[in-house]
Amino acid sequence: MKAPLASLTAAPLAQVAQALRRRAVSPVELVDAYQERIERTANLRAFITPPGQRARREAQRAKQQLARHGAGALLGVPIAIKDLYATRGVRTTAGSRILRDWVPSADAVLVTRLRAAGAVLFGKTNLHEFAYGVTTANPWWGVARNPRDVRRSPGGSSGGSAIAVVAGLCAAALGSDTGGSIRIPASLCGCVGLKPTYGTLPLDGAVPLGWSLDHAGPLTRTVEDAGILFDALSGGRAWRQAQRVATRGLRVGLLHDSIVRPLQPGVSNQLEKAAAALRRHGLRVRDVRLPEMGWTVVTQLVTLRAEASAAHAQWIRARPRAYGPDVRIRLQLGALVAGADYVLAQRMRAKITQAVRGVFDDVDILLLPTTPITAPMVGERTVRWRTGAEPVDGALVRLTAPFNLTGVPALSIPYGEVSGLPVGLQVVGRWNDEARVLAVGRLIEALASR
Amino acid sequence: MTERDGLAAATRAAGLRLTAADLEALRPAWKRYLALVEELRATLAPETLSE
Repeated sequence: MKAPLASLTAAPLAQVAQALRRRAVSPVELVDAYQERIERTANLRAFITPPGQRARREAQRAKQQLARHGAGALLGVPIAIKDLYATRGVRTTAGSRILRDWVPSADAVLVTRLRAAGAVLFGKTNLHEFAYGVTTANPWWGVARNPRDVRRSPGGSSGGSAIAVVAGLCAAALGSDTGGSIRIPASLCGCVGLKPTYGTLPLDGAVPLGWSLDHAGPLTRTVEDAGILFDALSGGRAWRQAQRVATRGLRVGLLHDSIVRPLQPGVSNQLEKAAAALRRHGLRVRDVRLPEMGWTVVTQLVTLRAEASAAHAQWIRARPRAYGPDVRIRLQLGALVAGADYVLAQRMRAKITQAVRGVFDDVDILLLPTTPITAPMVGERTVRWRTGAEPVDGALVRLTAPFNLTGVPALSIPYGEVSGLPVGLQVVGRWNDEARVLAVGRLIEALASR
Repeated sequence: MTERDGLAAATRAAGLRLTAADLEALRPAWKRYLALVEELRATLAPETLSE
């Protein structure tokens, strides 16, 4: 019996993969259904290079493999790729004008792994130029729009990937995260985003931004999907392990420091509701303090400005006008960072890392909002708090960047809404403890739907 | 040397080609950067050097 295609385009990856295995739907039918939706939602600017005929040919091949009961956890599943990852024979722009005509001769390692798992590579998604910003207001490829409210920003830099997941334009997507670029758009658009432990997923063939901060990871409709895709990308078994984790009795820390204030009242309410629900399910929730995290902003700023400027050292000097104004200023500022300042930032980073490691002696998981605000309007630059003003981009990375600096795994999960806009909560775990992060994430996801 | 002259000198030393308008656009970010780094420097005691 054929599965209804309209419902499958909005279905989780796990369900799509199962329908393909049962041959309730063919990969070609699925690709056509997503493609039709992509055409109807072009105003969202989710894609720089939409899937096209190449994806359809890949779907044909997957159909034949499925008929022969071929192997591959993602056989025939359409996965969108942030246009930061090199794709053999397919233009890879990094959201820039500089790379607008670059057609790589080889795939990024993670793209190779997706192909090996049988995935259909399903277009290249829009991003903030060179992933260096959190709005995906791309000056060359279009201002991306939040599918929940097109007047609002989807966040970034993996904005196109989050849009594609939430608007039902693919089964799941690959993103990257240097200061929150997976988790922020996941939070603002209403999907799941996983930034795994630093170094777990190789970045060979991805256009770099900050070598010590860059992480790859999935954006998906469910926590289960994030686990499945993470295992396919890493070759590990975190999701299988997560299913055996007993969450009852786990110790959950709620941060009570200046960095988590201010919050939009609605976001704060959702956090409190989630904490209360976890308590009712037998988890031990307590307040913890990490005052060192107050130094995140300057530490991340100096580290990223210097590292990004190093990655762009030639182009920013030779072709400054080939960058959009916001990215150009960030890169020019980075060229002025003194070596001594970078060392200062690394000394503070070591203190923050040590403090985060220490807090995990007392708790198993940290729970905090992913972003202190829901999706801002496109072009909005300042958040007005009772205590003063904060730049929107600063507010958006305030709660995500600490975990790029420290490298520990962090997962964003939708938890309710405020005025029709999704709220994202963030589950953070010990280094390499994706299994527990995913297990608690799945519990929170289940509690959110009750 | 004014703050503007200092920034111009720093950008030249870094090999950046900036117009006067570029310098003006960079100034607020530069000032914020200097203030934040100064806070960081003040917080972290200098590493002790011994001969």
